[in-house]
Amino acid sequence: MLHQLLSKLIKNSAGKTRFLMALVGMSVAIFLILSAVQLQVNYYQLLHAKDNQDSIANFLVVNKIMTDQNIGSSSLSAEQIKDIEAQPFVESVGNLIPSRFKAAIQSNSERFPFYTDIAFESVPSEFLDITAKDWIWNEQSNYLPIIVPNQFLDIYNFQFSISQNLPQLTPAVVKMLVFKVTIQTPSGPLSMNGRVVGLSNRISSMLVPQSFMEWANKRFANSPGTNASSRVVIRTKDPGNPLLVKYLKEKGLTTDADKTRFSKYRQVVDFVVNISGITGILLLVFALLIFTLFIQLTIASCKDEIALLVLMGSSPKQLKRFLMLRFYPPNIWIAAFGLILISATQYWLYQFLKGKQIILSPFISGYTIVAAIGILLVIAYVNNHSIRKWLRQKK
Amino acid sequence: MEISLQSLIPIPLKDRKLHEQSAIWKSNCLFRQAEWIKIQAPSGTGKTSFQHILYGIRHDYEGTVMYNHQNLKDFDEDALAKLRQEQLSVIFQDLKLFGNLTAFENIELKRLLSPGFKTTESILEMATLLGVDGILHQPAAICSYGEQQRIAIIRALMQPFEWLIMDEPFSHLDDVNIQKAATLIASECKARGAGLIITDLEADNHFNYQRVLYL
Repeated sequence: MLHQLLSKLIKNSAGKTRFLMALVGMSVAIFLILSAVQLQVNYYQLLHAKDNQDSIANFLVVNKIMTDQNIGSSSLSAEQIKDIEAQPFVESVGNLIPSRFKAAIQSNSERFPFYTDIAFESVPSEFLDITAKDWIWNEQSNYLPIIVPNQFLDIYNFQFSISQNLPQLTPAVVKMLVFKVTIQTPSGPLSMNGRVVGLSNRISSMLVPQSFMEWANKRFANSPGTNASSRVVIRTKDPGNPLLVKYLKEKGLTTDADKTRFSKYRQVVDFVVNISGITGILLLVFALLIFTLFIQLTIASCKDEIALLVLMGSSPKQLKRFLMLRFYPPNIWIAAFGLILISATQYWLYQFLKGKQIILSPFISGYTIVAAIGILLVIAYVNNHSIRKWLRQKK
Repeated sequence: MEISLQSLIPIPLKDRKLHEQSAIWKSNCLFRQAEWIKIQAPSGTGKTSFQHILYGIRHDYEGTVMYNHQNLKDFDEDALAKLRQEQLSVIFQDLKLFGNLTAFENIELKRLLSPGFKTTESILEMATLLGVDGILHQPAAICSYGEQQRIAIIRALMQPFEWLIMDEPFSHLDDVNIQKAATLIASECKARGAGLIITDLEADNHFNYQRVLYL
């Protein structure tokens, strides 16, 4: 009842159009800011959520770009590897050590006759995408475990076997085959059995255990040299990080471009998020200015009534509460409406992307809700501040 | 609540000779709880200024006004609002009604600022007693001055108070209506155990004054 009487005295004499304008501005501003937050969260979720995570995407094999200048010195120095390790976007670095001896593999079976010269690489086990229990080697081992890139099997099955009229092989069959590995040593060829223990999607090399590589390089190396790495594997949280791409470019390094393809998407998303966020914040600032002006005009046009209300014993707190109740609730409605609209959009996006095997949360994130509450708090603070300021001046 | 004045003088009156015989200006003066005091003064001697100073509207004065040993100038806006809601009620000479509210709404607004003290029915009772029940739903701006004066009286009685300060409250009322209004005010003050301070031009017997002071 008191509020009804106060409403009769303190009218929105600053004009309904101006008030509506402020509300429309505020709606667009809140929607843009919340969209920017939700977009960022969605993108982050797509990159990092387990369901969507691409196991090869977090490991990148990095090597120098081969140019006329660095032919023969393609290996990475200890300083270069240390520098890569020190980058914030790199979690850990594993050296790929190449074999420095001649080797060949050939089939033991008449049914799959093949022979080829080969070179190996080794990498610390934690950088492998395979956890085979047979992935160990020592001098007493009966056979040499080898990890083969999946691509090799694909080449064999879809090109080589067809052209040579050989049977196609499944990964299970490949793992059962035992073949002969021959190493050229200074004292003549050394043969041993070899067996494929796993097929890797991550590293496109014939891999052998590090213990074997160290043993063999020490004994059979053609040239005296160090175990310098020609390439490294890096583990990174976000292969799409534009900083990573920039770093590699600056240092003359390269990696599988496909794995860093997210970098371009990421830049586009960052751009959209920034534009949406900045436009939203600018609009919010303008809407707040219009609101402040509106409050000022309303109080100025009712200054006699306000002065008389104070004379009648109305406390500044009562007046402030009344004015806040008059100006503030539309903002709550706007924020709630913004959240509902973004929730609906998010659900639609979830349904749409589900059909494309991309899993997104059907609900808006907690960050978006926190952002909405944050905006409401900012508006409350600004409204409260201007009401207090203008009430004090008008008295 | 006691009101004590020490060497009080509004700055605009400071250099005038008028206050030399005054019992209030530039004097020390104590208004005891529940005292009924008449302050008589010709025009231009500062009756309205006195009321405004007591009510905390004017601050351009020298000397001090103390409410129970607390200097009025030290009251912040919340303390002043509390004083006006609970301890001090006022009838202004210029009435200060909201012209765009009805007579009833003017009174009701005051009642709602001190909720729980008087009922809406008491508004109707008092309005009937003072003969303004018929105009309660008219905008205050179009009521006659005499009617407005009675509305302002009823409004002042809608709140708890320890002092009722009135500035020529019956100036536009006939004797019969003055008698009715004075009776109502007296009974309301007695019910609260409250004091009253009335300023007027002439001597009168509207109330049983314990003191008559000359400004």
